[in-house]
Amino acid sequence: MNYYERPTPLQEQVNAEAIQHFAEHLKQFKANCDALHNIEYNLPATANEAFRAALQSSGHIIQTDDGTQWQHAVDLTKITSVCHRRTEAGLEFAVVECLPLKSREMKDVLNSGHDVREVLQTFAHDQRQVFKVWKDDIAAQVREHLEEKYPHQDMSIVVESFEIKLARAISERPAQTQKQSHGVRI
Amino acid sequence: METIPENEIQTTTPPAERLAYSVQEAADMLGINYFTMYRLIQRQKLKTCRVLRGKLLVPRTELLQLLQTDLR
Repeated sequence: MNYYERPTPLQEQVNAEAIQHFAEHLKQFKANCDALHNIEYNLPATANEAFRAALQSSGHIIQTDDGTQWQHAVDLTKITSVCHRRTEAGLEFAVVECLPLKSREMKDVLNSGHDVREVLQTFAHDQRQVFKVWKDDIAAQVREHLEEKYPHQDMSIVVESFEIKLARAISERPAQTQKQSHGVRI
Repeated sequence: METIPENEIQTTTPPAERLAYSVQEAADMLGINYFTMYRLIQRQKLKTCRVLRGKLLVPRTELLQLLQTDLR
C-alpha cells in the first residue's frame, strides 16, 4: 500500500487475496531476483574463475546454434554459463544459455566480449531489463484480475502495492553467499 | 457451480484452439520457467501482443514457430 492513502478494509482483504492468487508469480519473481543479486555480488569472483579457466583452456565444448564452439568455464544459473574461446583477437568470453526444449537444447550466446567482467556486467544489466518486463506484466495481470472480480471498485491501490513489492524485490539484496575468490587479477 | 482448485488449473493444458496464451500458460506449454519465458520475450525470440490492460499474450503461431525451430 502506498504511504499517502490508507487502504479500506475491503482493499486490504483484496490485497491478501491477490497475494494468494499470484503466489507462484511472486515466488518465482523473488527467487529469480535473489539469483540475480547473487550473480551481481559474486561477479568479481566469477570473472576471476572464468578468466582462470580460459588461461588453462579447460572446460567441456559447447557448440552454440550459430555454429561457434565455446569452452564452458563457470555456471551462472541452471541454464546459463560463462564460456570462453580463443580468437585471433585474443580470449573471448560469452554468456551462453542452454535452454532445454522438447527435441533439443537451444544454445544461444546472450552476450560476448573480450573483457569477462564487462560480459558479466552486461548480462546482469540485461537480466534487470527482463525483470522490468516481468514486473509490468504481473501488474497488468493483477489489474485485469481485480477489474474482472471487482468491476465497480477502485483497486488501484492494490495494484500499486504489487508494483512496490516487485520493485523492492529487484532492488533489495538478500543475505549473500560469496564465492571463494582465488585472487587472479584481471 | 464446481470450483476447480488452482493447482489443477495450472497443470491443465490450455485448449488447442486458442489464438494466444498468457506468458505463464506458454511457459507451462514449453516446460520452462517464467523468467526464461520473459527473457525469450525481451530478446524478441518470441513476439507478444498486449491486451487492453497491458497484459502480454503470446500468439499460438509464435509458440508453433519456436517449436518448429526446435524440431529442425
